[in-house]
Amino acid sequence: MWLFALPALLINICIILVPAVLTFTAAFFIWDGVGTPVWAGLANFQNMAADPVFWSALTNNFIWTAIFLTVPVCLALVMAAALLMAPKARIVVQSIIFLPRIIAVAVTGRIFQGMIFSPATGIVAWLNEHGFSISDPLADPDRSLYAVAAVDIWHWWGFLAVVFLAAMRQISVDQIEAARLDGAGFFALFRYVLLPGIRPTLTLMLILTVIWSFQVFEFIFIVTRGGPAYGSEVLATFAYRHAFFEGDVGQAAAAACVMSLFGLCATAIYLWLQITDDAQST
Amino acid sequence: MTMTRRQLVASIPAAALAAGLPRGAYAQDGRKVVTFWFGQANSDGQAALRNDLVEAFNASQDKYLLQLEVKGAAVNNLLKVALVAGNGPDIVQTAGPAYLTAIANAGQVLPLDDFAGKYKWKERFLAPLLNTSVYGGKLYALPRDYESMHLFYNKELFKQNGWKLPTNRKEMEEVADAALAKGIIPFGAGNADWKGVNEWLMTVFFNNVAGPDNVRKALSGELPWTAPPFVEAVELSKAWYNKGYFGKNYFSLTIEQSFLQVVNAKAAMAFSGTWSFGTKSYGMSKPDTVMDVAPTPTLGSAFTGSLVHLACGATLSIAKTSQNVEGAAAVFEFMLTRKFYEAMNRDWPGKWALPVKDLPPEMLSGIGYPLFEKTIANLHEAFSKGQYGFTTWTFWPGATNSYLIEGIEQVWLNKITPDAYLTRMQTLFSQEAREGKVPPLPPRTA
Repeated sequence: MWLFALPALLINICIILVPAVLTFTAAFFIWDGVGTPVWAGLANFQNMAADPVFWSALTNNFIWTAIFLTVPVCLALVMAAALLMAPKARIVVQSIIFLPRIIAVAVTGRIFQGMIFSPATGIVAWLNEHGFSISDPLADPDRSLYAVAAVDIWHWWGFLAVVFLAAMRQISVDQIEAARLDGAGFFALFRYVLLPGIRPTLTLMLILTVIWSFQVFEFIFIVTRGGPAYGSEVLATFAYRHAFFEGDVGQAAAAACVMSLFGLCATAIYLWLQITDDAQST
Repeated sequence: MTMTRRQLVASIPAAALAAGLPRGAYAQDGRKVVTFWFGQANSDGQAALRNDLVEAFNASQDKYLLQLEVKGAAVNNLLKVALVAGNGPDIVQTAGPAYLTAIANAGQVLPLDDFAGKYKWKERFLAPLLNTSVYGGKLYALPRDYESMHLFYNKELFKQNGWKLPTNRKEMEEVADAALAKGIIPFGAGNADWKGVNEWLMTVFFNNVAGPDNVRKALSGELPWTAPPFVEAVELSKAWYNKGYFGKNYFSLTIEQSFLQVVNAKAAMAFSGTWSFGTKSYGMSKPDTVMDVAPTPTLGSAFTGSLVHLACGATLSIAKTSQNVEGAAAVFEFMLTRKFYEAMNRDWPGKWALPVKDLPPEMLSGIGYPLFEKTIANLHEAFSKGQYGFTTWTFWPGATNSYLIEGIEQVWLNKITPDAYLTRMQTLFSQEAREGKVPPLPPRTA
């Protein structure tokens, strides 16, 4: 059996484990990316802890996680349940809501930046010309994180809805019909049949959301680059800036370690839930 | 001849190997290949690179074949990784001395002193710019161009409103206030696509408020960044931002959109760099009937008159692992020919303004771009005499410069005070100075 796993294992060791170990090691060195690394002990972590930008980035990651554990998940669950009940509309609606997912992140980011939020060329500009006083949320340090989150939610929730719908379709039709015959309305059906029926999928997606939320980078980098005034800075942009603009690879690696720590925690929770489920089902 | 399936399969690795030929490879015609990675280039720039550099060089001799790849904005990061891995190009182009410092300190590029002696480069380049690439007494790069921040303004708009070109802060603020009163943005500015616009502005504020001598003292460690002249500079930048001098949409407009505001008379002026001459979409025509340009006037009491800012937008070195050192040097020598200088500055103004000492006016006269000719001639004279300020992207070390760019947004948006900003800058600068990361500093004269 191990022989079958060997190719995948080798690939994972080469492209995941080795870089991960090197990154972890780099966190304990001062290194500009081209010269000779110098041992620094915990200095990178101490400097990071003393940097207020790190803490605001970490806070933004938590806010981002909270947003993505609720808004797109709720939207997707309601849409999936509605589509389950309306099979005729399913193909058309699924195609439409899935569309943002297949558009390149860079394109989506630029569309929102230039055609929606821009006060020069976007819908915001048009609204201002027609008497609505609206400022570009991307230019406001207190709103920029939420504005970028809105872009990512648009890109993400349709995919979630399709995944949830696929899971809901695995629920026995008899069970759904029985609930309906017992007089269950949409929300009762949703609460007592559909949600419990997709619990493993829902748990997996929530755990993945936590992991992805601590790795979020592309949308923020493309749309705001973490600004203005660090308003939308997250750990990934913090690490990127240190590595590639400040020539401080050690500090970037330390931030990457913190990102991985949250991913590890989420993975541990998922494994624990799986073990608990397995124990209950045997 | 038809190939069997087995022959076809066997040829794939060979083809793959050929596609990734190591440096030092030979072209089909027997010429030794010289590789060169370039960063960002618009379509005009790419055409100029292809015609005026690659094809012209390759047609000029039969020993070397120049191969150029346009790598895009990530070239600086790619280059570092490639150099460490020993797979970089023969010609190493960085985005200026601040980027070169780490690479030169790490010994990833070769000293050029032997070539400099052979080709008399030290005699042919302007010393202030050439010396930005001297580390430990050795020359590690040639400057590819020189740049400066300038005041671009809509001369038609000034004429219509009876405004005079400002020569000091008071006059500048009078024009700005008059513009604001008419609903005109005083300074077209926007950093939506490039946060480095922040440092363009801060280069002006630090130099033109605090004065270039104080900036030089700070860069050489004789004066802290927390000193009163710099506090005044940062406070003025904040005051101007909060008064709306840079418009309501600084964080939402791209560089091009903000510059076009000046061309379209929606804004009166812009602090921008000499690279603006090379971007046709900016609306700078040749000769221009709308726009004009001047060195930036004093904005404080540290000096009177106007000031240009010494900048080197790119450096050219030879990789330590290059297998074709002679070929790379031959490319550099080709760039110093009069024919190349004229062609490149005609086709891509401002991008390849090699800072050579002998710049007779007729070298640029065929370009037909009076504003550019005037600006380059003024820069050449000022740089030759040592009369300049210091640009952040050339002389500030990496982490300090990164904070200068990011942190000033916190000041402008009232998240931190100017004192807090400068204190953090001083902390970062002190650390980088201790680590030898501050680029070499040329002398200046009054």
